[in-house]
Amino acid sequence: MAISRRTLLTSAAAVGALSASGQVFAPAIAQNKPLRIGILAPRAGIAAAPGENGIRATQWAVERYNAQGGIAGRKIELVIEEESSPKDTIERFSKLVQQEKVDCVQGIISTGVGLALGPVVEESRALTIYWDGTTQDGVVEKIPNPRYLFRSTDNECEAIMSSLLTIKYWKGKFVTVAGINPDYSYGRNNMAAFIAVLKRFNIEHKVVTEQWPKVGTMDLTSHVAALKAAKPDLIFSSLLFADLPVFMKQAHAAGLTEGTKLVFPAAGWQHTLMKKEFTPEGMLFGHNTLYFANPNASSLAKEFVAWYEKTYKDYPEWEADRAYFAIASYKAAVEKAAKAKGGNWPSQDDIIDTMVGLSVESLGGKGSWRKDHIADQTFVQGLTTHKNNYDFVTLGTFETMYSTELQKPPGADFWEWIKTAQFKV
Amino acid sequence: MAAFANILVGGVFHAAVLFLVAAGLQLVFGVQKIVNLACGSFYALGAYFGITFIQYATQLGISPWLILPGLIISGILLGFIGPPIERMLRSVYGRDESFQLLLTFALVLMFQDVFKFVWGANPRALDSAYLIYGIIRTGDFSVPVYNLLVIAAAVVTAAGLGAFLQRTNYGRILRATAENRDMAEALGVDVRRIYSIVFTLGAVLGTTAGALVVPTAAASLDMAIEFVIEAFAVVVIGGLGSMRGALVGALIVGLIRAYSIVFFPELEVLAIYMIVIAVLIFRPAGLFGRSLA
Repeated sequence: MAISRRTLLTSAAAVGALSASGQVFAPAIAQNKPLRIGILAPRAGIAAAPGENGIRATQWAVERYNAQGGIAGRKIELVIEEESSPKDTIERFSKLVQQEKVDCVQGIISTGVGLALGPVVEESRALTIYWDGTTQDGVVEKIPNPRYLFRSTDNECEAIMSSLLTIKYWKGKFVTVAGINPDYSYGRNNMAAFIAVLKRFNIEHKVVTEQWPKVGTMDLTSHVAALKAAKPDLIFSSLLFADLPVFMKQAHAAGLTEGTKLVFPAAGWQHTLMKKEFTPEGMLFGHNTLYFANPNASSLAKEFVAWYEKTYKDYPEWEADRAYFAIASYKAAVEKAAKAKGGNWPSQDDIIDTMVGLSVESLGGKGSWRKDHIADQTFVQGLTTHKNNYDFVTLGTFETMYSTELQKPPGADFWEWIKTAQFKV
Repeated sequence: MAAFANILVGGVFHAAVLFLVAAGLQLVFGVQKIVNLACGSFYALGAYFGITFIQYATQLGISPWLILPGLIISGILLGFIGPPIERMLRSVYGRDESFQLLLTFALVLMFQDVFKFVWGANPRALDSAYLIYGIIRTGDFSVPVYNLLVIAAAVVTAAGLGAFLQRTNYGRILRATAENRDMAEALGVDVRRIYSIVFTLGAVLGTTAGALVVPTAAASLDMAIEFVIEAFAVVVIGGLGSMRGALVGALIVGLIRAYSIVFFPELEVLAIYMIVIAVLIFRPAGLFGRSLA
């Protein structure tokens, strides 16, 4: 069929107008070339379940975006690689960047892997967005001023929120405190942060025992016996892998949960395994940045939870939100930067610069990127209830806090910040 | 006093499960001279399959009170995996130990993928079973009856294995084969059959241990590796190939772990491996092992 000059000009004008309106993007280069996003997430081992949560949320988002034309007019292709040991993950990251030529890398759950990978990201100059794995230890030394790396909220946010809620709900109702936390930087820092906040508010307390089971310990009967022997008024625990429901089950059997106040900031990672049978009501329970049953959730979140339930017969936890936030903010940054360039595909530097200060609606609520490339997100914690249609606990009373209230400002030292921060209780 | 009793029972419970896995390891090494790293995978398989078995049994209307025997049956049923795996291991009999270790470690990794494929990456639990038999409470002392039943099952297994090996003709044949394979074969013993049976028995001890422990814990992809390391500590302390050694070694590891968790929580692992190192230095063959000339 012959195309007349008039038809051609009309079509070109229409495309130009649509581009300028910002609704449909027509990048000058590589419009037909798919946008490749590399995902590094654990699919085996102790973090396999959250890894799957993140991957599923990313796939859901990509399916939706592709149905709407992709990101700035380019369809998205995912290249998924395994997050495992730091060494192997670094090799897979290099493969994604050098061989697969991905436009952006997203993922990472482990702090150890995240710390080791950080300098490699900077050296490779490849835009990378972490889902999780950002405890305080070693960050300043290893990744002081990242340019290409965007990291999730500080892992200690949930401990700070739990500490504040403990004071709000139970001030004056406990003295003896016990801890059972995983024996690595996350568990150690969370317990230390909890105690630091109690000190900050001059809460009288006495730590009677601190237990540090290795991650994945499945027989915690001796730890439960040790906690019971210490007779604490309150137990703080950031257990979050498969050992968490095991602990609850064994603690319940030993009568440890009766009359003891329980503060579990990270329990939401295993929320569907926290069965009513052994998880009491009134326990302080953290869902981090995604509470699947939040009655105030956005229609986007409700749609996602319904899809997740229908597809996987399961309910998502916060790693799904972290992954969604990563891809949603990348999409928003690319499209904003492309719009600023009149529809031309933006450079990686343009995208990075646009990410800073950008705010998007994630599954768990609002999220944004700070100038130091650390995320701010919305956190949910509250007291457990059995009044629901599930066989596991959900939240009765709960609170929502934005992480600007929970994490140190850019450049500050976390432990010094706790001593002077103006917390709202 | 109640605290002491709680810790003691916790330690003995851990020792009971460790004994079952270590006993399988000992039996296989004692007779076949194979260091079977996959014993941890049998333990994990027992846990996963136990959950599925009980879920189906519950759907069929089996009384919850039959959960414990049901789990034991599910562990025994898994014995069918023993002969084909033993058949595969024949290729490394008599070869360097590194071949055996590599092959059995490959089995560990393969099993992990099978678990992920069949049961998914999420930890699986059997929640309704643990407290069905009740809890014994006296003052501050409390222990779930289920834990006591698992301890009893381990004691019965230890006694049964001892009687089988010492007092039955088949046990004598097994010991004779362990002692001198060629001589046993020359005397008409079907060594291949013996190996197959021993390996299956070792696997059943592991799968039964996993099935028994799952109501108190959860089945997860890493449980195989986690447990096999402790089982090897038991074997080093007790002596490779010795059933009495497995029993005493499991008790030592279980109790040291329990008391160090209470009094020196930071030193839980160190305390166990200090004993392991001491045994390796002062009694390299283990407390009940025979030194290799």
